[in-house]
Amino acid sequence: MAGQEDPVQREIHQDWANREYIEVITSSIKKIADFLNSFDMSCRSRLATLNEKLTALERRIEYIEARVAYQLEPLCLDLELTDSSWESSGHSADIDQVLTM
Amino acid sequence: MPLVKRNIDPRHLCHTALPRGIKNELECVTNISLANIIRQLSSLSKYAEDIFGELFNEAHSFSFRVNSLQERVDRLSVSVTQLDPKEEELSLQDITMRKAFRSSTIQDQQLFDRKTLPIPLQETYDVCEQPPPLNILTPYRDDGKEGLKFYTNPSYFFDLWKEKMLQDTEDKRKEKRKQKKNLDRPHEPEKVPRAPHDRRREWQKLAQGPELAEDDANLLHKHIEVANGPASHFETRPQTYVDHMDGSYSLSALPFSQMSELLTRAEERVLVRPHEPPPPPPMHATGDMKPIPTCISSATGLIENRPQSPATGRTPVFVSPAPPPPPPPLPSALSTSSLRASMTSTPPPPVPPPPPPPATALQAPAVPPPPAPLQIAPGVLHPAPPPIAPPLVQPSPPIARAAPVCETVPVHPLPQGEVQGLPPPPPPPPLPPPGIRPSSPVTVAALAHPPSGLHPTPSTAPGPHVPLMPPSPPSQVIPASEPKRHPSTLPVISDARSVLLEAIRKGIQLRKVEEQREQEAKHERIENDVATILSRRIAVEYSDSEDDSEFDEVDWLE
Repeated sequence: MAGQEDPVQREIHQDWANREYIEVITSSIKKIADFLNSFDMSCRSRLATLNEKLTALERRIEYIEARVAYQLEPLCLDLELTDSSWESSGHSADIDQVLTM
Repeated sequence: MPLVKRNIDPRHLCHTALPRGIKNELECVTNISLANIIRQLSSLSKYAEDIFGELFNEAHSFSFRVNSLQERVDRLSVSVTQLDPKEEELSLQDITMRKAFRSSTIQDQQLFDRKTLPIPLQETYDVCEQPPPLNILTPYRDDGKEGLKFYTNPSYFFDLWKEKMLQDTEDKRKEKRKQKKNLDRPHEPEKVPRAPHDRRREWQKLAQGPELAEDDANLLHKHIEVANGPASHFETRPQTYVDHMDGSYSLSALPFSQMSELLTRAEERVLVRPHEPPPPPPMHATGDMKPIPTCISSATGLIENRPQSPATGRTPVFVSPAPPPPPPPLPSALSTSSLRASMTSTPPPPVPPPPPPPATALQAPAVPPPPAPLQIAPGVLHPAPPPIAPPLVQPSPPIARAAPVCETVPVHPLPQGEVQGLPPPPPPPPLPPPGIRPSSPVTVAALAHPPSGLHPTPSTAPGPHVPLMPPSPPSQVIPASEPKRHPSTLPVISDARSVLLEAIRKGIQLRKVEEQREQEAKHERIENDVATILSRRIAVEYSDSEDDSEFDEVDWLE
């Protein structure tokens, strides 16, 4: 009886140890998966706020450029700026040309 | 229901059948579990790489934007230092001549397109079973459409919406042109010769059968009366509906069976257009429409009743079938129609029933009808047109556009005719609704030559009035036909008038082809990724009364 128990017991103990080992590994995998998901979400939210700020900035810059260009246009023809980009902007009232230069 | 974006592959570690003939099963299970763990780790690493790749791409695009912004800020700072407040010379010319500032509002569009599907979802999708390979049959089709589109078409709704928008913008522009021309030349319609209309009308009559061909004359007479009577009333929105519903005059006097047939045909046309069989909506609509047609017997009453259909039809599908537009406009419409009936010189004899009883009868079934048109024009948003709109002469579109016209046209006949009872007949040729529209110009033209024996009896399908012109088109046609006149006028001295008529007919054909070409060109120019232009068209539609057609053209050219 004791002889029969030993190998079986050993096997069962060994099995329990293996299972615990596997359990540790799988729980770590789950933690990694959770971390990846939360990292993804937080990154996306930060990038989204960044995007918003960028668009707001871009619009403000467009507006300022338009204001400045209109101010400058009558000046360009008089001042004879050396900067070629500004010279080209003096020939047209189109904002887009001014912006793209 | 949230979709799982990334699924780690071996879901269960040890839910596998053990192989037979193994002594130490516990060890076997352990080993199998460990192997599955390794597979899970591999899929996890693959998904991690995908996640970081997406984040990296987004951040990368932001870096480009930030860099460009930086450059612009630098340039601005330089230019601001050069600003000299003393030398500001803003003349009035500068202020007015310069293009107004418009910030670039980039709208998100095509968000849920196939191309924007994330890669892991695309992989999940690929695992699924493919649809049957119906595209094999595409080379054998006559109409040039893909076979698979009849089975499953992901872009179906977008295409539908796009067609609708294009059609509406076209209608709007034509309305405006008409308004301008009507304002300029109120009496010209009487001078248009009637001869050019006959050929196509005859063809269309033949196409529709003898029973419907009789009513053309009646329609003409009616339209002449009505068009010339309240010509001063102009409403932009209802005009489109009025035009579409020109044939509705005839609908009133028809027996219910014919009306229901027409209506179901119209409905089916709307539904068939997207190449899908019309399932419940026609049945719904048919069921609801029955009570109303009785009321719509007065010819003039139709004018007011008509706009309600667009009002109801244009509301989104999910609007509850509350009785919003139909009941109130109906009584008012009928009352005004009764006034107009007195105004018109010869009210059509077969038309008759007094407005009050129809008004009361209309109010009762007012609730059921709205859902019917709603189903037919799902998701289409339009402002409810005011109910008062006299039928005005309008340039009818070319026959080639009969199909898109059918969409809007059938919606209108529905609440008006609202006669049902017959099972939906097979999809009719697209002629009747375009026929309905041209009937009005034809009637106006007929004014010049008072038709002998024309009775304003309601005609169902006013025959194949090919898009024949009202006052404006003839003027447009004439310049187009001028090049052809030169050879034709040489031998003609005695039959100058017939030659002129032939030239006009050719001009009409020329005009039609030109319009078709314009349409095709526009359609080619407009690709699927131009949702912004489409939204601009909506803006054009809503700004009808204030802006001129210049605005339209500007938008088109942008």
